[in-house]
Amino acid sequence: MLTPHTTYQKIDKMGNILSASFAPECDEKKATYDACFNSWYTEKFLAGKSITNECEELWHEYKECIDIALVKRGMVKMMEEAREEASFENSGIPQNHDEAKK
Amino acid sequence: MKLYSSEHHFDYPWTTITAANWQKYPNEMSSHVIGVDVLRREVYPETKILRTERLITCKQPVPKWLSMLTGGDNISYVREVSEVDLVNRTLTLRSNNMTMNHLLSVYEVVVYRPDPEDPNRTIFKQEAEITAYASFRRLCDKIEDFSVERFGQNALKGKIGFEGVLHYLDSEWIENRYLKHVRKELNVVTQEATEIVSDVTKKTSVILSEVNELTSEVISEVAGKTSGAIQEVSEKTSSVLSEVTDITSKTNSVLYQVTRLVKGGIFRGSND
Repeated sequence: MLTPHTTYQKIDKMGNILSASFAPECDEKKATYDACFNSWYTEKFLAGKSITNECEELWHEYKECIDIALVKRGMVKMMEEAREEASFENSGIPQNHDEAKK
Repeated sequence: MKLYSSEHHFDYPWTTITAANWQKYPNEMSSHVIGVDVLRREVYPETKILRTERLITCKQPVPKWLSMLTGGDNISYVREVSEVDLVNRTLTLRSNNMTMNHLLSVYEVVVYRPDPEDPNRTIFKQEAEITAYASFRRLCDKIEDFSVERFGQNALKGKIGFEGVLHYLDSEWIENRYLKHVRKELNVVTQEATEIVSDVTKKTSVILSEVNELTSEVISEVAGKTSGAIQEVSEKTSSVLSEVTDITSKTNSVLYQVTRLVKGGIFRGSND
């Protein structure tokens, strides 16, 4: 059995774990947004203190970078097809799938 | 189509699990995951559901015979839609591979829910449907078998990796909470100390000004009384002196008269 340990590849100045973007040029914006989201999620959303997404402004900045990266890498069509097959509105359940949405 | 399913538990509360889910990658057991991006995220206030669409980027070695069919690229993309349901306390993640899905489709549903018997435990349930679309039945079977086997291996690695992240985050949170607590206590103590110091200062200054006032009053009273007394004494002294002078002069005149009378023999004559 392997023992989990706590060394990670990307750690920022504050000691937080950084998870990378598929597009390295968006790493920084992603890290900024993630930090905001994670604290909102643990301190506010889970505590039932806030049900409005408070980090939206940072997300839009990050999203802009991602959208450009998707176009550059020719991934837009792939994304569109996947979204059609299992829409966000339908919780990601594929079409013609008999799974009951709870 | 083949199914893979597994169920186990984590010794962490559901809330911790859901928070860690956003920080799950990278972890040392899932080095094949090289990127996680949030493509869309919405909060539904009426149902208290947080829905997120993520793009997961993997770099996975593909067996040679399969890469001949798929082309050389070993980067693959997975799209995941997840829901945190605060009311029903479930975290559901549904994901589909977007790469090579004309050959092989993997649809995975993972649900995390609190253990009804132990709130510090979370039940994990994973189900996957694996479908191969290649035209030869035997090839399909082979691909499916390989994929099921691979899925099982990765699922175990994923669990171990997640445990590592949970362990790390848990200790970090405890530390943060403790630090926050200490900071709060320090603030209270500092405030109390400041209040006490300012109170003492205020009281000291009041007492000092009272002492000053009293001292100056006493001094002025003493000074007043002293000067009065001195004046009185000097007045009395001078009146006593003038009285003494008076008496002296009277005594002198009486003595003079007595001397004259004695000299003149008045006593003798009158006795005759």
